[in-house]
Amino acid sequence: MSPEGIPGQLSAPLIIALLVLFYGGTLFISFTISRKKENADDYMTAGSKIGFGVSAASMTATWIWASSMYASATAGYTYGVSGPIHYGLWGALMILFIYPFGRRIRKVAPRAHTLAEVMYARHGRSSQLMLAGSNVLGSVISLTSNFIAGGALVAMLSPFSFQQGIVTIAGGVLLYTLWSGFRASVLTDFTQVMAMLGAVVVIIPVVFFAAGGPELFTAGAANVTPQQQSFFSSDAFLNQGAPYIAAVLAYAIGNQTIAQRLFAVREDLIKPTFVTATVGYGATIIGIGMLGVIALYLGIEPTGGDVNNLIPQLAATYLGPVLLAVFFIMIIGALSSTADSDLSALSSIMMADVYGQNVAGRKKADPRTMLLVGRVTMIVATGAGLYFASGQLNILDLLVFVGALWGALVFPVIASFYWGRVTNVAFTAATLSAIALFVPVRFELVPMTGPIGLLVDVLAVIGVGVVLGLMCFGFFGTRVALVVGVLATVVVAPFGIGFLHDYTVLSASLVAYSVSTLVCVALTLRNRESFDFSLIARRTGEFDEDDDVPTADPVPNPTR
Amino acid sequence: MLTFYVLMWPAVVAGVLFFIARGFLRDWREARREGHRLI
Repeated sequence: MSPEGIPGQLSAPLIIALLVLFYGGTLFISFTISRKKENADDYMTAGSKIGFGVSAASMTATWIWASSMYASATAGYTYGVSGPIHYGLWGALMILFIYPFGRRIRKVAPRAHTLAEVMYARHGRSSQLMLAGSNVLGSVISLTSNFIAGGALVAMLSPFSFQQGIVTIAGGVLLYTLWSGFRASVLTDFTQVMAMLGAVVVIIPVVFFAAGGPELFTAGAANVTPQQQSFFSSDAFLNQGAPYIAAVLAYAIGNQTIAQRLFAVREDLIKPTFVTATVGYGATIIGIGMLGVIALYLGIEPTGGDVNNLIPQLAATYLGPVLLAVFFIMIIGALSSTADSDLSALSSIMMADVYGQNVAGRKKADPRTMLLVGRVTMIVATGAGLYFASGQLNILDLLVFVGALWGALVFPVIASFYWGRVTNVAFTAATLSAIALFVPVRFELVPMTGPIGLLVDVLAVIGVGVVLGLMCFGFFGTRVALVVGVLATVVVAPFGIGFLHDYTVLSASLVAYSVSTLVCVALTLRNRESFDFSLIARRTGEFDEDDDVPTADPVPNPTR
Repeated sequence: MLTFYVLMWPAVVAGVLFFIARGFLRDWREARREGHRLI
C-alpha cells in the first residue's frame, strides 16, 4: 500500500472485489472454451471462421485501449472541440482502410496466421523478419503502455501502489489468455466490449450534466481560445490530425493484432466486421475525448500537471461510488482487451514465423512444441512488459515514433500483394532506404535549411500523394489511385514546399512513404518476371492436423 | 449545438453496442443449431 491513492476514492476491498470479478469472470469464460489438447492453428487464428458478433466485438475491443482514451481526452483538452475528432477519426480509419487490403491478403493466403508468414511465402526470409520484427516491437510497446495505464489507474483510484497495480493486471491478463491463446482473447473481448461501451454510454452524459450541462459552454467560454472553439482548428489539424492521417495505413500494416483478426474472421464477413469496428472505435474514443473538452471549459488543471490524469480526475470528481466502479471496469476492460491481443499476436509470430518457418521448418514443425513456444512467449512478453512498465518510460512517444517508422513498410507490403513484379530486393531496399532517410529527418540530425530542407519538402509532398493514393487504391483500384495521388501532390506542392520541413513528425513520416515508394517502384520496373500468387496459398497453411484440415505444401525455398 | 456534439457519441456507441450484441446472439444460435463450437 502507498499514500498514492486519493482518500475517499475506491476502497481496497472494493478494488480487490472488482479485479476478482473482472479477471475471475474472464478466466471463467476462457475456461469454458478450453480444451485439454489445444490445436496450434486455433491457438493463433481460432479456426479462421469466426462469426460477425464475436469478430466485430474483438476488433473494436482490441483497437480501444486505455492510452487511446487518455490521448483523446488530452487532444480535447489541448485543442478544444476538434481535438478528439483529429485523434479518434483517423484512428478509426486505420481499421476501415485496411479491410480492402485484408480481403486481398486473405484471398491469396486463406489459411495463414500472420502477415509476416505471408511475406515469407511471397518474398523470403528478409522481408518476413523485417515485418515480424516491426510487429513484435509494436506489440511489446502496446503491452507495456497498457500495463502502465492500469498501474496508474490503480494508484490514482485506490490505496494500492503503481507496482501492485501493474503486477495484478499483467497476472490477470496472462492467466486467462495463456491456455487457449487467441480463442480466449476473442471471446473475452466480447464481454469486455459490452462492459466498455456500456460504461461509455452512461458515463459521458452523467459527467456532462454533473459538470453543468449546456450551461457549461457559456459559463466556461472564457477558458477557451478561438482556435479551441473552432471545429476547423488549423492547430488541431497540423499538430494532431495530419500526423495521424499519415499513420493511418502504417499502424494497420504494422500491427499483427489486426492481421490476426483478418485471418480469423469468416472471409465473407471481413467488410461488416471492420466497418462496425470503425464506427464503434471512433464513437467511443471521440466520446471519451469529450471529457477533455469538458475539462477545458471547466478550467480544470490536471493533477500533477499530467494530462493523463484528466479522465480519472473528472471521474473521481463527478461520479458516485457505483459509477466510479463502472469507470474503473471500463478502463481495465480497455487495457486488458488490448493486452491479451498483444500477447496472442506475439505468440503467433513466435509460433508461425520463428519456430514454424525458421527453426523447425514447415514440414517438421511439431504442433505440441509450437503450442509450448506460444505459451512461453506469452510469459516472457508479460515479464518484458512489466520490466519496461516499472521504469515508467514515456512509452507513447516511442509508439508514435514506431508508428511513423512503419510508413517505410506500407507501400512495399501492399504492392507485394498486387504487383507480381515486386522482388525481395525491391522490398528490402525500399524499406531500408526509407528508414535511413526517416531517422535524420525525424530527429533533425541535419539542419533542415537550404537544399536539404527543399529536398525534404519535395519528398514529403510526394509522400502526401502516396498516402492518399494508397487509401484510394484499396477501394477504387489503380487508375483512381494514380489520379488522386498525382492530383494531391500537385495541389499540395505550392503550400507544402518551404513549409512542411518545420513539422518534423509529419514530414519524416511522409518522407518514409515517398522514399520507400520511389525505390520500390524503380527497382520493380527493372524486373520483367511476374510472381505466381497462387503459390502463396500453397506455401502457407495449417501446422496442426488435429482438426482434419488439409495441410500446406512445404515451401520450396522461396527466394523471390 | 455543442450539447448535441457531446451527447451524439454515446448515442452512436449505444447503436454499435446493440448491433454487436445482436450479431453475437446470431452467432451463438447458429453454432447451437449446427452443433459446432462458437469459437
